[in-house]
Amino acid sequence: MKILVFIILFFSDFAFFSLKVFAGPMVQIPEGPFLMGEILAEEGVNGKTVKLPSFQIDQFEVTNQEFQGEFPFHHFPLGAEKHPVCHVTWEEANVYCERLGKRLPSEAQWEKAARGTDGRIFPWGIKKKRRGAHPPISGMTKRIVGFNKKDVSVYGVRDMSASVWEWVKDEGLNERRVAKGGVWNEHLDYEYSKTFDRIFIDPDKRFIFLGFRCVK
Amino acid sequence: MRKIGGIQRRVFLIGILMGTLGFFVGMFKTKTCAQASGDFFGREEYVGKTRKGRFKKFYVQYFKPFKRVDGDKWKLKITGLCENPQEIDLVEIKKLSKKTQVSRIKCVECWSAKAQWEGFHISHLHEKVRPLPDAEGVVFRCADSYNEYLPLNDLTHERALLVHTMNKEPLSDEHGFPLRVIVPFKYGYKSPKAVLEMEYVKGFHLGTWSKIGPYSLDGTILPGYDHPLDMGKKRRKIFGGEIFDY
Repeated sequence: MKILVFIILFFSDFAFFSLKVFAGPMVQIPEGPFLMGEILAEEGVNGKTVKLPSFQIDQFEVTNQEFQGEFPFHHFPLGAEKHPVCHVTWEEANVYCERLGKRLPSEAQWEKAARGTDGRIFPWGIKKKRRGAHPPISGMTKRIVGFNKKDVSVYGVRDMSASVWEWVKDEGLNERRVAKGGVWNEHLDYEYSKTFDRIFIDPDKRFIFLGFRCVK
Repeated sequence: MRKIGGIQRRVFLIGILMGTLGFFVGMFKTKTCAQASGDFFGREEYVGKTRKGRFKKFYVQYFKPFKRVDGDKWKLKITGLCENPQEIDLVEIKKLSKKTQVSRIKCVECWSAKAQWEGFHISHLHEKVRPLPDAEGVVFRCADSYNEYLPLNDLTHERALLVHTMNKEPLSDEHGFPLRVIVPFKYGYKSPKAVLEMEYVKGFHLGTWSKIGPYSLDGTILPGYDHPLDMGKKRRKIFGGEIFDY
C-alpha cells in the first residue's frame, strides 16, 4: 500500500513539475477575420479587418506561481501565488512562453481574443461597467487571476480589460513594445481599458502593473 | 452748526470719506495671502501648500505648514541600520558628486510639472554612511511632519536623486529647501521635500499618505491620464512609469 502511495505521489509530482501542469487552461480562438483598431465616438470606426488562423490563448494571465515554476528566483509576497506575475521584462515574458512551447501573443491575436468578431469595445460588449475596474487606491491592487467575474471575453478569456497590462509580441513606438488591456488611472478613478487600447513600454522595463499571457 | 448724534456733521462726513478711502487703498495696495510671496498664512516665516502666483506652473503640496528651515543650522540626520550614522550640513551635501537631470513630477492628483534638478545619487551618500545588509529601505522625516518610506531598490534606481537645486537655483522653501528627493517614476507623494532625517530600516514602513489616505505604498505611476501644468492642463495619455514624452 505504501509503495502504491509512493508511486502515485511520484508520478503526480513528475506531472506537476515536468509536464508543466503549472500552466493554466487555454482557450481555442477560431480562425477568421475580426475588426482590429480604434472605434472613437467622434471619428467612427478607424479599424481594419484582420484575418487570423485558429490559435489557443491562456484563459488567465500568468501567475506568480506559474512563473516561479520556470524562474525559481522569482520572489513574491506570501499569499500572492495566484496573483498575476509582474515586474517582468518583455524578454523574460517571451522566454517563459517559449520554455512552455508557447509564445507571446501578437497584438492582433490578443485583440481578437478580447473582442471577438463583432467589434466590441469591451470584452463583454459595448457598455461600460458601472462598477470601477479597481479599488479606489492610488496604486496597483492585485487580486487572484479571474477574480473579476465580469471581465470575460466572448471566448471566455479573463481579465483583458482590467487587472495588469500585458506584454504582446509587437514592436510599437520608438522600439518600445506594445502592452494591452489593463486599468487606466486618473487620480483615484479607474477605468476599464478598451479592447483596442494600447500602451508602449521599453522592453527592459519592469512595472508592478505589467504582466503577460501566452498563446500557441 | 448741525450735529448728528452729538458729532459735528463736517467731522462725520470727513470720517466717512477717510474710511472709504482707506478701504479702497487697503483693497488695492495691501498684499493678500495669495500675493504674499506664496506663503501659506501671509506670514513670511511659514511655508505651506500653494497654487498661487509663480506656483501656478508648479503646485506646492505640503502636509502641514511649517517654519522655514534655516540652511545655516540645518543638518541632515542619518540614523538607523547603517555603519556610520552621522549629521551632514548643507556645505558637505553640496560637495557630493553632482548629477543633473530633467524630470517631470507627476502628482497623484492629476497634474504634473517639469524642472531641471541637480543633486546627487544616493550611492554617494552610501559611501559615507555604509548601510548595513539588513537595511531594506529609508524612512524620510520632513519639516512639514511628513514621513515617507522608499525601498532601497527604488532609491538606488538611476533616475532617483536627492536634490538641492532646481532650475539652476537653490531649492526654494516651497519646493523643499534644503534637500528633497525626486523619484520621477512614482507619484509625487513618494518624493518627500524639506528632508530633516533619513532612517535606514528593515521591512516596509507606511508613509504619511499611505497610512491616512487611499495612497498605495508602492506609488508607481500607472498608465492613465495627466494634466501637465506647463501645457495648459491639457489631458494627455501616459503609459506608466517616468514621463519622458513631453
